[in-house]
Amino acid sequence: MRLLNIQVIDLLSSEKRSLVRFLAIYLSSTLILFSLGSYMFYTFQKHQIIDNQNAKLQLEAEKLTQKLRELHETYKKPLLYPHDPSSDSAIYDVDRGYIFGTFKPKKIDWSKEFYKKEEKLYYLHSLNPYYLGASSLLVSKDFNPKPLNELVKMLLLFLVGAGVLFTLLGLFLGRLFTAPMRESMELMNRFIEDTTHELNTPISTILTNIELLDTIYNCEGQKEMRRIEMASKTLSRLYEDLTFLKLNHNYHRALESVNISTLLEERIEFFHTLIEAKEIKIIKNLHPHITLEMDRNDAIRLLDNLLSNAIKYNHKSGKLEVTLTTNRLVVQNDGDGIKKEDISLIQNRFRRANSSEGGFGIGLDIIGQVVTRYGFTFTIDSDTNQPTKVTLKW
Amino acid sequence: MVKKIYTILLLSTLAQTKEPTPLLQQNCLECHTRQKIPSELVYRRYLMKFSTKERMKKTLLSYLKNPKKENSIMPQQFFLKFPQKEALDLNGTLLEESIGAYLDFFDVRSRLEIKR
Repeated sequence: MRLLNIQVIDLLSSEKRSLVRFLAIYLSSTLILFSLGSYMFYTFQKHQIIDNQNAKLQLEAEKLTQKLRELHETYKKPLLYPHDPSSDSAIYDVDRGYIFGTFKPKKIDWSKEFYKKEEKLYYLHSLNPYYLGASSLLVSKDFNPKPLNELVKMLLLFLVGAGVLFTLLGLFLGRLFTAPMRESMELMNRFIEDTTHELNTPISTILTNIELLDTIYNCEGQKEMRRIEMASKTLSRLYEDLTFLKLNHNYHRALESVNISTLLEERIEFFHTLIEAKEIKIIKNLHPHITLEMDRNDAIRLLDNLLSNAIKYNHKSGKLEVTLTTNRLVVQNDGDGIKKEDISLIQNRFRRANSSEGGFGIGLDIIGQVVTRYGFTFTIDSDTNQPTKVTLKW
Repeated sequence: MVKKIYTILLLSTLAQTKEPTPLLQQNCLECHTRQKIPSELVYRRYLMKFSTKERMKKTLLSYLKNPKKENSIMPQQFFLKFPQKEALDLNGTLLEESIGAYLDFFDVRSRLEIKR
């Protein structure tokens, strides 16, 4: 039977970042393109709307000119000035002096035939001959903003619609582009799942039988036995880590008060064969009775990975300092150190700063997941040829 | 706006009712009436061509000082119907004042009004 039926694929943070960047560039460029297009369309349409309204003014001016001509020819008293209630008009002589009109604007732009000022459209119509002495006829009408408002509404609706459509398209494309990556991740996860499943029974058998040999028989090859035990424990821990990663999202956690002080002692003891093999000098400053409200298995995975990394990447006969206080756990070793620029990278799954030691590069990923789940903080202080100090705060 | 319209109406009514000044009557209209010369038509012709009072005045002055067909803006047919004017025996100031009175009497500005 398969260990897991549900596949949970997590993208690495760098891959997520790439996806977010792609979406941001794609959406922003689309938005810029559409905004530019919409602006050009708006400007063109706005001119069209104004031109339409100007054409009406021009027609009005033609009618007025005709009436002025008739009035000039008859010149009958009283000279009733022709006007339309929907517009204002005024006539000016050749020296731009005001003759008569329904309005008298303070300032006229004589250089333009059509112009818009304070939401009013103006049309300056030239007359020749000068009927009633008028050389220019100024016609003005309120600018009707309704078509322009309708246009703005339509463009906004279009932009929102296009925004939604292209966001969905972007997400779809993003998923399409990351599909091969996700498939690779899925394949790797499936491989690990199958491997761990097959490793479980032989590892358990080896460990049980080593214990039996130790207790029942007085075995002569103690040194060799320790090596077998050490290798088996490494395999066992690897199995536990991989199982944790696979079950992490579906595993039912039982929160309890875990005595970290005791558990830390137990886990250091678990690693004693490894510590002895590398002749590491361990310095323990453990505050007693420190308890944390968490799942026991999570606590074991957290401590095991912290200790395992500190041992694995320690120099032979190096120093391992474990300090536990009321609000933090500090593990410091004498390894080759980690380049500052690599510190953020090694927290990704399957990444290792140093490939000289074995492993899959999942330790820090597990630590990161536990830390995030319980709201702890986790920092690594190191540099090349410097001791590595890992601090866990809660 | 309403106040403006009332003011315009009042001014235009006054203009309509105004009588020609003695100067205008004596130096211009008397003769025009006798010879049946349409003064208003002449005014309209000048207005349509020169637009402003100043420009009309300048042209009229020039014509009246030397009244010839070639100096007139009136069509040839006009002179077939009406006699060619002789030079007025008026000094420059009086002539200018008479032209001013003539232009004021027919002034388009004072005749225009808006129908309520």
